[in-house]
Amino acid sequence: MERALRPAVEAEGVWFAYRGEAWVLRDVSLAVPAGGMAMVMGPSGAGKTTLLKVLAGLLRPQRGALRILGVGVEGGVPPSLRPLIGYIPQQLGLVRNLTALENVLMGALGRSRGVGVLFGLFPRPEVERAWAILDLLGIRHKAREKVIHLSGGERQRVAIARTLLQRPKVVLADEFVSDLDLPRAAEILRLVRQVGWREGITFLMNMHEVQLVQEFGDTVFLVKEGRVLHQCPGSHVTWTLLQEVLR
Amino acid sequence: MRRDLLVMGGMGVALGVVLGQMGFFEGEKMGRGLVNAGRFARDLFPPDASVTPTAVKAMLETVQMAFAGTLLGFLLSLPLGVLGVRFLFPRPVTYPARLLSAWVRTVPALLWAILFVIVVGLGPLAGTLGIALYTVGYLSKLYADLFEGTDPEVVEAVRGVGASRLHLVRFVVFPEGANGVLAQLLFMLEYNIRASAILGFVGAGGIGFLLQAYIQTLEYQRLATVLLLLLGVVLGMEALGGWVRRRFLLTPS
Repeated sequence: MERALRPAVEAEGVWFAYRGEAWVLRDVSLAVPAGGMAMVMGPSGAGKTTLLKVLAGLLRPQRGALRILGVGVEGGVPPSLRPLIGYIPQQLGLVRNLTALENVLMGALGRSRGVGVLFGLFPRPEVERAWAILDLLGIRHKAREKVIHLSGGERQRVAIARTLLQRPKVVLADEFVSDLDLPRAAEILRLVRQVGWREGITFLMNMHEVQLVQEFGDTVFLVKEGRVLHQCPGSHVTWTLLQEVLR
Repeated sequence: MRRDLLVMGGMGVALGVVLGQMGFFEGEKMGRGLVNAGRFARDLFPPDASVTPTAVKAMLETVQMAFAGTLLGFLLSLPLGVLGVRFLFPRPVTYPARLLSAWVRTVPALLWAILFVIVVGLGPLAGTLGIALYTVGYLSKLYADLFEGTDPEVVEAVRGVGASRLHLVRFVVFPEGANGVLAQLLFMLEYNIRASAILGFVGAGGIGFLLQAYIQTLEYQRLATVLLLLLGVVLGMEALGGWVRRRFLLTPS
């Protein structure tokens, strides 16, 4: 039980730069509380995407300490931890030439080592679960369509479905719902929040829509020039605050 | 802008010098050539249709060689191409794979055919193997580069799930590259039909033998029949390729 109360993701004095370039993250320290939705806000070029990649263990920080689900990952993510970390990139990272269902099933690859999978034959429970998730997200009728033929909003749901099938404990999403109009985005966030509560998933996402941050952000990190400048609950985020902090 | 002009001018001068060295500007020689070309063209007509059955049979063999050779080469190129992908394998794997591909590529199909005639004897088997190796050299290089161009975000996303290397190849690299794989395979098949047409010159089977024989015995009217047949097949292949592309290539709707 104590483990669950620990922060899902913790960074202490993290510095990161791409090879041979200037620092993108400067001395970032933050703790993402377990459960609920944390959000990162900041102007473009603030290093939000890089921050998320580092926190997801996809990029190794040059300095500082990083713990995901209580495991130190500065030197790389151990393979056993990998499937517990969901990551949704900005462009979603879907395979366009495969169907929505196939893309979702890829979420199960971390625990699928058999030969059958290589022929597209996933274990029955995984397939059933994939259908259930597609159903939950309201895109069951698009399951057999290739991703390239889906709309932006549908693709977003496929990416979310893939991550949910992965059964992660923490999900890091870069601009989670950027392709959706506000009502749609709110609907998806509500759904995802429910699933998160039910399955004990912590979400950390980049978000630029103030209204969504106010309604859904349990913890908000305001980021500028590679530093975390302010942390507060989403309900405290106002235009005035943003202007003051991010000015 | 001025640098562009300078480069263009330089290339123009180089072209002129090279052509001059090869005798392009010798009026008498070129004039004689034109007369000969006219004579040759006149001798081609009318095509001698009596050789059609022989020619068709030989043509069929050529198409078979091209088809089998291309597919064999294709099947070998896929794994070799994958082994050359730098985001999947470390240098000690990609480097030898790419080196092997480059080495196979330096030898022209005709030379491979000669080698295989020596090894397996006269006939279409030598031609098929020659085509196959030539195809491996080209397709493995094209595929390695194509696979390497896979959207890194997709690779990152699926790798983040905990997918293995084999999973990445099967679920990301192949599907994302499918368009290019198919397009280049079709191109290679069309190309190999033309290439295998001359393999008969060295006894490696197919219509090349007839081409060579009719040229050497000055039977140009028969040669014309063979050339027309070749033209027909190549055009047919291109039409088939176009159909496959329209039918199977991925297009966003």
